[in-house]
Amino acid sequence: MIPTNTYIRATSVEQAISMAQAHQGAFRYLAGGTDALVNKFQGNDEASVLIDISGIAALKQIVTGDSLLVIGSMVCLDDLEKHPVISGRIPALVEAAQSVASPTIRKTATLGGNLLCENRCTFYNQSAWWREAAGHCLKCHGTVCLATGGSKNCFSKFVSDTAVVLISLDAHIEVSGATGTTIIPLGSIYTGDGINPRQVSETAVIRSVHVQVGGNPKTIYKKLRKRESIDFTSLSTAVTLQDSGRIRIVMGGVHAKPVVVDGSAADNMNDLINLAVTTSRMVDNDTYSRAYRKEIISVFLERSFRELKLIHD
Amino acid sequence: MQQLKLKINGKQYHLLVEDHEMLSHVIREKAGLTGTKVGCGQGSCGACTVLLNDKAVLSCITPAMRCDNAEITTIEALATEGKLHKLQEKFVEKGAVQCGFCTPGMVMTALSLAPSLHETGEIGQLMARIKEGLSGNLCRCTGYKKIIEAVAEYVVESSGKGLQHADPNPSRLSDNGAVGVRRPYIEAEKKVKGLAEYADDIISKNALHCKFLRSTYAHALIEEIDIRDALNFPGVHYIATGKELPVKFGVLPISQDETAMAVDKVRYIGEIVAAVAADSEEAAVEASKLIRVRYKPIREFLSIEESLNDAGEDEKIHDYGKFNNNIHKKAELRFGDQQAGLREADFTVKKSFWFDGVNHGFTEPHAATASWDENGLTIVTATQVPHYLHRALAKVMEVPLNRVRVIKPYLGGGFGGKSDPFPHEIIVSHLARKTGRTVRVCLSREEVFLTNHGRHPSKMTVELGISKDGLMQALDADIAIDGGAYGSFGVVTSYYNGVLLQAPYRLNNFGFRTYRVYTNKPQCGAMRGHGAVNSRFAVESLLDDLAHQINMDPCELRMKNFLDSNTLTVGQYRITSNGSRESLEKVMELSGWKNRIGKMEKGRGLGVACGFFISGSALPIIWNELPQSVVHLKLDFDGRVLVTSGSSDIGQGSDTMLAIIVSEVLGIGMDKIFVLAADTLLTPVDFGSYSSRVTFMAGNAAKDAAQNLRTEIISALTKKYNTDPDELNFSGNRVFSNDKTLDLSWPEVVDNLTANRGAVCVSGKYISPKLGGDFKGAGAGLSPSYSFGACIAEVEVDTETGYVKVTNIWGAHDCGKALNPLAVEGQLEGSWHMGTGQAISEQMTYHKGLLMNNNFLEYKIPTSLDTPDIHASIIETIDPEGPFGAKEAGEGAIHPVIPAIANAVFNAVGVRITRLPIRAEDILEQMKDPGKAGDKR
Repeated sequence: MIPTNTYIRATSVEQAISMAQAHQGAFRYLAGGTDALVNKFQGNDEASVLIDISGIAALKQIVTGDSLLVIGSMVCLDDLEKHPVISGRIPALVEAAQSVASPTIRKTATLGGNLLCENRCTFYNQSAWWREAAGHCLKCHGTVCLATGGSKNCFSKFVSDTAVVLISLDAHIEVSGATGTTIIPLGSIYTGDGINPRQVSETAVIRSVHVQVGGNPKTIYKKLRKRESIDFTSLSTAVTLQDSGRIRIVMGGVHAKPVVVDGSAADNMNDLINLAVTTSRMVDNDTYSRAYRKEIISVFLERSFRELKLIHD
Repeated sequence: MQQLKLKINGKQYHLLVEDHEMLSHVIREKAGLTGTKVGCGQGSCGACTVLLNDKAVLSCITPAMRCDNAEITTIEALATEGKLHKLQEKFVEKGAVQCGFCTPGMVMTALSLAPSLHETGEIGQLMARIKEGLSGNLCRCTGYKKIIEAVAEYVVESSGKGLQHADPNPSRLSDNGAVGVRRPYIEAEKKVKGLAEYADDIISKNALHCKFLRSTYAHALIEEIDIRDALNFPGVHYIATGKELPVKFGVLPISQDETAMAVDKVRYIGEIVAAVAADSEEAAVEASKLIRVRYKPIREFLSIEESLNDAGEDEKIHDYGKFNNNIHKKAELRFGDQQAGLREADFTVKKSFWFDGVNHGFTEPHAATASWDENGLTIVTATQVPHYLHRALAKVMEVPLNRVRVIKPYLGGGFGGKSDPFPHEIIVSHLARKTGRTVRVCLSREEVFLTNHGRHPSKMTVELGISKDGLMQALDADIAIDGGAYGSFGVVTSYYNGVLLQAPYRLNNFGFRTYRVYTNKPQCGAMRGHGAVNSRFAVESLLDDLAHQINMDPCELRMKNFLDSNTLTVGQYRITSNGSRESLEKVMELSGWKNRIGKMEKGRGLGVACGFFISGSALPIIWNELPQSVVHLKLDFDGRVLVTSGSSDIGQGSDTMLAIIVSEVLGIGMDKIFVLAADTLLTPVDFGSYSSRVTFMAGNAAKDAAQNLRTEIISALTKKYNTDPDELNFSGNRVFSNDKTLDLSWPEVVDNLTANRGAVCVSGKYISPKLGGDFKGAGAGLSPSYSFGACIAEVEVDTETGYVKVTNIWGAHDCGKALNPLAVEGQLEGSWHMGTGQAISEQMTYHKGLLMNNNFLEYKIPTSLDTPDIHASIIETIDPEGPFGAKEAGEGAIHPVIPAIANAVFNAVGVRITRLPIRAEDILEQMKDPGKAGDKR
């Protein structure tokens, strides 16, 4: 028979969680859905129950204080730019958000959804028919990685554009689950396992993102892609310099998780770049080759350091 | 299922929808509003954009149930009381509508964007913001230029500021039919309103849906197909397999090598193995998953090299052919003495090139609906070639030609990708006959890519010699092209790669050898600029290289070598009008070439290239004595002229072209002309929209028909009024004698003509003159006329990342005479957009024969932000045999743009491009190590 599907539109976080508990193992939360639905069409996501949380008003608020910005997880990417405090205090977040997909998608896609955007790989983001023809890879319940031609590890890429900037700012997220609400570092939810790239309880909901801006951070964001619109990242870098001189480099598209390198303005920048390059774990599963992306890490970081006046010509 | 309550365009709907149904499906299939198009089904193309509570959303990835109690606005709501919205008016007026398939989504996106743009002051900034705002909407026809202009004018005018820029080309919307007037397509309003029906928009009562099971093997014997479980699936009516349709077909008589479905073996991953007809799409999909196929894999041939090697007898992809390998076609032609030419040349250069395959990327997926009744088969399908499909269907269905009717509705872009008879068209015809029902199919974007027929992956080694004063001495090319699993147009492609190098430059010593091989991949075929795009790239790159070697301006080098007008090429092509020089002069002037070349900072560069193309093939594909095109005109008592033609308007504006020609000859307004085209029952044969033949051939047939009607009118009037037939003029909706003693309005003329006779029907035709030499292969590339052109490209290369940004294209194209300058510009701008894609981002990549990038996310068609500023110039040389001097404009312009971009990269950073698309990493590598050539494969 044609499988039966269910769509539920949640009006509160509590309702969403209790619905999720009722459908454990068979549901998917839907934020904007611009990524999740395509994965569903391609048969990568077989959840028969969609719990749409994009309409929950409580998740769409933005609260700004002197040193803390709290951004609701269901704020659309497009709306970040329109918020004067966000675009004034963390312009790099706006820049990253504006680099996601296309302008129309950004009107639907949410910040929370982008943070949880599924990892990508040229051998994974394909139709069910295609993956059958290719022979299923590790991320599709197969036994070997097709991108590397035999590895037992999955190298699907972490591709969230906004998370790279947010982690460089040491942002935290407020997560509600069956057992209550906690605030945890955003970076802590990414596992580095390409098959299960995030460790958030299945039924948990990210309510908001907390960004400390008291240290007057400056962030430079860069993204590599073939076209200036539509495309997912092939490499993104965010470098944040705090007033204190603390530097945090975060890279996307180079590993199954965001790669973080911490340092300070007193460090030798070339050492930081080398560390960033050697910490990345790329394979050939992108429109650009592994070697090229690796090379561009240095270019992006050098340019970022220059823009932050950490190195001089 | 849930009940969905929503308002669409102000009307309240209560609908039962599937829980996971998307909004696009509800709008199209349940509300019947087919103005909203689905181009990719994955949110990557923007065609499905609608407003959800006034916010633009992609309806193909918006759950319908999310829209409960919401208000949806689709394209159909914009025009009020039949009058276009101001934004729609601008789209029409500026020529922003070509095939029209992306138009509804583009208009809706622009509409939601416009309010935020009113504060944008300066025009350049406004254009930039529009480019950004539309960058999620792919258009394959226009190069975005006219769309951006339309939106900008709308914004400026609706903010009450008036135009800040004088429009250099004001659109004259004249009522008088006249050649040379800038004119929107006659169907532009219908398209911009979302009312033009494309193949998948024509709702048939109670139709069955067809879905395919496709091979997961590149090369394998089919040992068993078990359809029993699938047949028992609820809602399934019929499942067809290959053995039911064993008759082979193909667009060329010499390559009848394809069956509708794989019969005994599969030849590529994606080939159709079985087809399900069911009550719903979902049932057809689920049932197809239950079909079990047992394959026995055989050796795969995935590259040109593998296919040139010997194969075991049971391993050949096709069993015919003299040789023990997978070579499909070999051709070789030599003129003059190449060896002597190269020996005597002062400078020679020889390089090898690699080109990845590219795809047409039209926005409308293939779709067809077939049914049978007492008149036989009727199929409504997105095709460029109703005539060849007509023949193929009769052959494979094994019915007389008079039992087949092919109707082409509005078509959402072709570019050569809809110019073959296709398996899905034959299969739905078969399913319709077996079930006695109407059967429809619409391919997914993945299936469109698997169907392919795109430009061949090609490798070639080309050698060129010149004298020290810059005269070309000899050209030699050794070319191999990867045809994929079937023949398609491949034999022609093979020849074109070679023969279309014999112009636009004078060459006395010229020759080539070309191979086409079969491989176990989706087949290649004809794509815009057919056959010669890649080899043209090679020659123009070598010319640039030699100019550099001898320290001569590359424009000057080309000027020295151009063929003249009214001459013969070395292979006996008859060159009539030739605007090469004028084209090159024009782009040099507009780009400021002389003042800028050699004086730009590192990382920025200018490059030049030229090209030429046929205006239709002088020889028919299927050898017969039919004219290449026939046009009928009918004039009845109401004064309207009905033009019937088998030619296919595929978005290039050929219906409008026919109307313009008839309007011009008869001196009557366009409102008195109605075009009925591309219905093989009602319209006389035209061979189709391919090889840039329609303006020249169908245009000449229309002109001939209109002149015949004029003769009928003159004869009726001279008989009655006893005037001198030579003194009658047709103009301004009147027929009058020189001295105005006879001066009749059009209705009076019509009354005179139809008195005691009724409707008058006349016919016109075009037959190409006999051309060319008498050697074997002399017919390839023969055309009654050739177009010529030149491009200069400007690029910025990031010297640290190798990223190439094409910033400007100045192009000039000799189209003989622009019957409709607005449409000609549209063709040129679209060609240069498409060429930019092949130059910088488009490629089809494979993993063991499996196409990796079969969607609009990973197949990288340039967005509005990636498309350079395009500056189009039309060059008119008035061809002696073209209708009012016209020749082709749809394909030739793509030839020069790609090498112009690559030559600009050389100018910017000193890296010679020998592989397409241009890769940032190759540039970086060669900047570091100039001696090292890029990986050629």
